[in-house]
Amino acid sequence: MAKALRARRRQVSGWITLRRGVQYAALLIFIVLFVEARNGGWPGETANVFMRLDPLAMLGQLISSRIVLAGSALALLTIALTIAFGRAWCGWLCPLGTLLDLFSLRRWRGNRAAPRDSWRAVKYVLLLTILAAALFGNLTFMIFDPITLLYRTVSTSVWPALDQAVTAIESALYSLPALRPMVSSFESLIRPSVLPTAPAYYRDALLLAAVFIGVVALNVLASRFWCRYLCPLGGLLGLLSKFSFVRRRVSVERCNECGLCAQSCPTGTIDPDKGYASDPGECTLCLECLDSCHRAGTKFSAAAPRVEWQPYDPGRRHLLVAFGTAITAISLFRSDAVSRRENPRLIRPPGARENDLPTKCIRCGECLRACPTNGLQPALVEAGLAGLWTPVLVPRLGYCDYSCSACGQACPVQAIPPLALDEKRQQVIGWSYIDQNRCIAWADGRDCIVCEEMCPLPDKAIKLEEASITREDGSVAKIKLPHVLRERCIGCGICEYKCPVNGEAAIRVYVPASDTGA
Amino acid sequence: MKDFTRRDFLRLAAVGLGTAALSACGQPTASTPSAAPSPTGLPATATQLPTTAPTLASTVASAASATATTVPAATSAPTATAMVRPDLVVARGPDPAELVRQALKAIGGMEQFVKSGDDVIVKPNICVAYHTYEYAATTNPWVVGAVVKLALEAGARRVRVMDFPFGGTPQEAYAISGIEEQVKAAGGEMEVMSRLKFVDTEIAGATSLKRANIYEDILNAVVINVPIAKHHSLAGLTLGMKNLMGTIRDREVIHANIGQRLTDLTSRIRPVLTIVDAVRILTNNGPTGGDLNDVKKLDTLIVSSDIVAADSYAASLFGLKPEEISYISAGAKAGLGRSDLKSLKIEEVAVGG
Repeated sequence: MAKALRARRRQVSGWITLRRGVQYAALLIFIVLFVEARNGGWPGETANVFMRLDPLAMLGQLISSRIVLAGSALALLTIALTIAFGRAWCGWLCPLGTLLDLFSLRRWRGNRAAPRDSWRAVKYVLLLTILAAALFGNLTFMIFDPITLLYRTVSTSVWPALDQAVTAIESALYSLPALRPMVSSFESLIRPSVLPTAPAYYRDALLLAAVFIGVVALNVLASRFWCRYLCPLGGLLGLLSKFSFVRRRVSVERCNECGLCAQSCPTGTIDPDKGYASDPGECTLCLECLDSCHRAGTKFSAAAPRVEWQPYDPGRRHLLVAFGTAITAISLFRSDAVSRRENPRLIRPPGARENDLPTKCIRCGECLRACPTNGLQPALVEAGLAGLWTPVLVPRLGYCDYSCSACGQACPVQAIPPLALDEKRQQVIGWSYIDQNRCIAWADGRDCIVCEEMCPLPDKAIKLEEASITREDGSVAKIKLPHVLRERCIGCGICEYKCPVNGEAAIRVYVPASDTGA
Repeated sequence: MKDFTRRDFLRLAAVGLGTAALSACGQPTASTPSAAPSPTGLPATATQLPTTAPTLASTVASAASATATTVPAATSAPTATAMVRPDLVVARGPDPAELVRQALKAIGGMEQFVKSGDDVIVKPNICVAYHTYEYAATTNPWVVGAVVKLALEAGARRVRVMDFPFGGTPQEAYAISGIEEQVKAAGGEMEVMSRLKFVDTEIAGATSLKRANIYEDILNAVVINVPIAKHHSLAGLTLGMKNLMGTIRDREVIHANIGQRLTDLTSRIRPVLTIVDAVRILTNNGPTGGDLNDVKKLDTLIVSSDIVAADSYAASLFGLKPEEISYISAGAKAGLGRSDLKSLKIEEVAVGG
C-alpha cells in the first residue's frame, strides 16, 4: 500500500513537472512570437496566433462586427480543449496565468483569507458585459481580456523598458575603452535580431504598466486573484467547463478530510463544506491537489459531465447587471463630446477609418508592436474613453513608413485591413497642413525644405515656391516656401515627424474632412 | 551544494556593478577616441595624392579581367610614372561592377587607398527603404559590391557597409536597395548603425559645425564614400560631401548652413576615396525618388581621392557648375579639394560590355 502510494506520488510530481514545462514553453512561445514579429522576422498571421487562440477576443469580434473571419477558427481549438479538460488553458497555457504563478507573492500573502466566493461572479459579469456591449458594436471592454492585456503591456511598456535598461548598461560599459569591442559585438548580436535598433516610446507606457502591475499585485489578496475573480476569458472557459469531461473527483472512502488539498489549490475552489469537491468552472487542472493528497483520495478522470450550478455562477440577475452596465456605458460613450466632433488628430492606421475600426478592434496592441517607426500609439483620449487603447498615428512620435504595411498584416481581426503595399501607398489617412506662423521658411524667411525632402511620394506632395523677400536691411533674398498639394498628400506624417521646429510641428496631419474625403 | 540564493545574486551583482562604476570613474572621458585616425580639420592635400611609393601598382592588373578599350598609360607603366596618376577617373560602360574595377585600376589600384589589415567602411547612400535601385534613390548595389570586393582583395581586415536611413528601418532599406545581397556576396558585412557608437566629437578648425555626434567607427576606419548622384531641393544635388550626413546622428543641424557645415563635417571624416555612382542619376524629386521619369541612365562612374573634385565633376552631369552647389564651393574654399575641373588631370575610361 505504502509502496503503491509512493509510486503514485512520483507519477503525480511527473505530471506537475510536465505542466510547469508546458506553461513555461507557452510563455516562451508567446515571447518569441512577440520578439520575432517585433523585428519583422515572421509574418503577422504567424505572430498573432495567441490572439486567435483566444475565444473571447474572437467571439467578441464576431458579435460586434458580424463578420466571420477564417483565422478566428483557431479559437475552436481552445474551446475543444476546454470541453475535454475544463480550464486547462488557464492552468497550462495562458501566459498571463503563468506569470501570475511566477509572481505568486506567496510570502506577502501569508495566511490571509481569500475574499468571499461571491466575488467569483465578477468575472462572469465582466464576460457578459463584454458580450452585451459587443451586441451593440462596442468592444471597449475587451481591454480586460487577459491576452490583449498582456500583449499590450509587453508591446508598450515591458519591451521598451527592457530595451532602455539594456541600453543603459551597454552605454555604461561602452564608456570603458577596454570593454568597447566586447560591448560592440554584444550589441551587434542582440540588435536588430532581438532588441530594436531604435528605442520605442509610448505615451501610455506608465499607465499600461500600472494596470499590469495591479493585476499581479492582486495576488497578495489571493493566489491567482485575477483568474479566480476577474478574468473574463476565465469566465467564458469556466462556463464551458460546466460541460467538460475530464475533471477532479474525490474518493469518499479514502478522504480523511485532512484539508491539504484545499490549502494547495491556487484557485481555492476545493470546498471543505462539500466533501472537498471542486467546481470545474474554477479548477485549472494544475494537479497540485493530487500532489498534496497523501492517501490518493483525489483523481482526475473522464466521465460524462454532470452540470452543477454554483451560487456565484451567472444567473438572471448577473445578466441584467451586465446588460445594464453595457447599455449605460455605451450611452455615456455616445454622449462623449468626441461623438459630436471627432478629434481631427485621430489618425487611424491605413484603411482602418473606412473599415469602421472601433467595432472590430480588440485592443490587443499587435499593430503597435508591428509599427516599425513607433508612430502607432494606444489612444488615450483622442477617441474618447470608448476608444481607449485603439491605435492612433501620432506623427510627432513616428510616421507611417512608405515601405511598410505591417499593421494590416499583424491585425488578428482585420480591423486594420491587410492591404498590399501598393494599395497602402495610395491610402489616404490624413492631410498635411502648413502652419505659416511657425514654418521656418514662411515665418522666419529662412530656407528649410525638410518637409519637401522627406515626402516619400514619387512626385512629392509638397512643392517649393521660389519667392523673393525683402529683409530688414533692404536686401532681397530668395527663399523656398513649401506648399502641400492636397490631392497628392496621403497623410503619412513624415513631414510632421521630421519638421525641425521645436515643439508642435509647423506642418501637421489632420484627418481629412469627410465630405471631401478621398 | 549550497543553493545560490537571491541574496547571493544581488551581492554579486552589486560588487560587479560597483567595480565597473569605480573603474569607469577612473577612466578619462571617452568621447575622444583613443587612437585619432588622422590630423583633424586641416591639410586638405594630406590624403589627396598618395605620397607613399606605390610599389604594388603593377600587381593591380591581376584583379581585372580587363575589357577597357582605352587603356591608360599609367596602369601599365612602371612605378616611376605613378606620380602622374590622374586626379580623377571617369569610367563609362554598361556593367557597373566593371566600371568600378576599371576606374580603380586607372586611378592606381585599390592598394593605394586600402592597406593590408585595414578596417574599411564603405558608405553608400541608402537613404530610404522605399524603392529598388532602378529608382536611383540608393547607390547601385553592384557598384557597392565591387568596391567591397576590391577592398578585401587589397587586404582589408574587414569591410563593413552602413548608412542611416531617414525613411524606413535600416534592415528594410538594406534589403530593398539590393545592397545587402551584393555586399554579402562580395564577402562584406552590413552593419546596422548602433545608437551607442555616435560619439560627441569636436571638429577642429570648423567654422560652423564645431561639434557633432559622429559614428565612432567611421572616425577610426578607412572610409570609402560611395554616393549616388541625385537631385536635392536645398543642396541642389546630393553627392559625395552630402552623403557624409549619414555618419552623424543629429543631422537636422546641417540644413541651417549646409555648405559650410558639410565642409566642416567632411574635414573630420576625410574619406580616402569618393566613388560617385552615376549609373543612374535622379534628376528631380530627390532625394527620395520613386518616379522612373526622373531617372536618367548615364552608365557613368566617377572616382577620385579628392571629394570636392569628384562632386564637381558629378555636378557637371546635371549641367551645373561647381560654384552652383554651396558645399562644393565651400569645400574648395576651405582647401578640402579642387573644384576647378580644368586644373585636374582627368582620365576617361570607356569600359566595353
